[in-house]
Amino acid sequence: MHGLFRWSSKWWPGTIPLAVFWVIAAWTGTAPLEADLAARSNAALKDTVLDKARMAVAGRDVTFAADAFSEEGRRSAVASVEAVPGVRLVNDQTRLVPEAKPFAWSAERDVSRVTLGGSSPLPAIKNRLLEAARAGLGGVEVVDRMNLSRGAPPRFDNAALLLLDQIGKLKDGKVTISDTKVSLAGMARDLGGREAIAAALKNLPEGFSVAANEVKAPPYVFQAYKDPVAVTVTLTGYVPGNEVHAAIAAAAGRKFLREKVVDNLKASVGAPAGFAKAVVPALGALARLSTGTLVVSDREVKLSGDALYEGAALQIRAGLGKDFPQGWQFKPEISVRPAAAAVDATVCQQLFADLLAKAKIRFESGSATIDPDSAALLDRLVETAMRCSTVNIEIAGHTDADGEAGFNQDLSERRAQAVMDYLVNAGLPAARFTPIGYGSTQPLGSNDTDEGRAQNRRIDFVVRKGE
Amino acid sequence: MTYLATFHWGWLLASLLLGLAMGWIAVVHRGQGVSKNTARWLAVLAAALVAAAVTHVIPGRFGYWLDLGLIMFALYLGGCAVGSWLRDRVLSRHQA
Repeated sequence: MHGLFRWSSKWWPGTIPLAVFWVIAAWTGTAPLEADLAARSNAALKDTVLDKARMAVAGRDVTFAADAFSEEGRRSAVASVEAVPGVRLVNDQTRLVPEAKPFAWSAERDVSRVTLGGSSPLPAIKNRLLEAARAGLGGVEVVDRMNLSRGAPPRFDNAALLLLDQIGKLKDGKVTISDTKVSLAGMARDLGGREAIAAALKNLPEGFSVAANEVKAPPYVFQAYKDPVAVTVTLTGYVPGNEVHAAIAAAAGRKFLREKVVDNLKASVGAPAGFAKAVVPALGALARLSTGTLVVSDREVKLSGDALYEGAALQIRAGLGKDFPQGWQFKPEISVRPAAAAVDATVCQQLFADLLAKAKIRFESGSATIDPDSAALLDRLVETAMRCSTVNIEIAGHTDADGEAGFNQDLSERRAQAVMDYLVNAGLPAARFTPIGYGSTQPLGSNDTDEGRAQNRRIDFVVRKGE
Repeated sequence: MTYLATFHWGWLLASLLLGLAMGWIAVVHRGQGVSKNTARWLAVLAAALVAAAVTHVIPGRFGYWLDLGLIMFALYLGGCAVGSWLRDRVLSRHQA
């Protein structure tokens, strides 16, 4: 033992190469050792749910910062890093994810994208929401502005997924969850979308309730366009059902003289009350215009175009709104077409004959009341009469041979008078017109067939040169 | 400790062999040894360093380097002791 002390006083020269070894070992070994410890620490945390985990290794000391979702999770994460072999000290900089109060989440849709914002409880749920948004909204850009927070109500993920489904039915708008209250606002993509969303909200998970549902339905639009060049009337937009569709198509056929009706209407729910009662007279007014557009949007009827003469414009402006059901609005934008050039008596007669060959002035059966469907034709006759201001015109009423001759004579006179009254009302001088009733004395066709009788019931305009 | 041994076994073995060689030589070395006073001070220094390492007061890389140095030094001392003892045995057998 004494020897060992003696010898040990001479061991010091070896410490010089030892120091060299030490320096080399430290120089070459530190970086790989730190990398190895970092890798092992990260591997130990692989199954732990953390947000913003960061690991810095200096020598054998690990500085560990992370946001944990529960106190137990935080402690177990620190313990796992401490248990990694080789780690000397853990500098614990972990904390809990902040608690959101109220716990608010939102999804907002505009034209081109969907933005998810607010709080989400766990990274896995956040990813699921993003995936659901991408899958459910096919092609729409999904922007993630969610941060992670504690304090989500139970079954939050189910509620959020259900609302993401609904946002697909919106054209634009926003859905929000604030604790257990759900709010929606925006515009539905299709007619019926609002109702579908309201129905889906009944399936919200237990505990959640709808605080506000301000989803609006898109306007219920019906449009008709009278094109004088193509000689068509194009109907587009929505009608409530097949019955109303048929009624509107039939009314268009009666009211327009020679225009072809192009029917592009689609059936859809959500029509305002009294839809047909407003649209049918509005189509009659459109028929009286030389060119025009009718737009029915919810309960607002907008009619724009050119009337044939001043009187017609005034009548339409003042008269149409009166026919509408309660709550409907009429917004006329009607101007008057410039008067056409004057014509002489021969051309005038030709124009009358052309008009009356295309359509006939209709009356209610057995009476001298003019059918409103004939308004378009009468307007054309008025316009033509204005162009030949130098001639006198005989308005000749004819009937078929059904019924008593006396009654027919009287009816033909009253009908001719009714037409004349219409012309005078429109602003033409009464002195230029002579109403004459011929009864059934001048038939055009046989009175034995329906067709022939229909031909015989008529009003003719006969031009007499002015004296 | 186990971790350092597995990670740096090459350097630790080198320290041990260095110690063996130094111990082997020290027995017949005629040069100046360390005085008793100096040896005492060195022992106190070593004890202080060991205490610092055990209590983890030196942070980060310096702490790690201290640990590494102390382990290498301990193995070196062990090697020296074994080396000197072996040399002494060999010499005394020759003389006998």
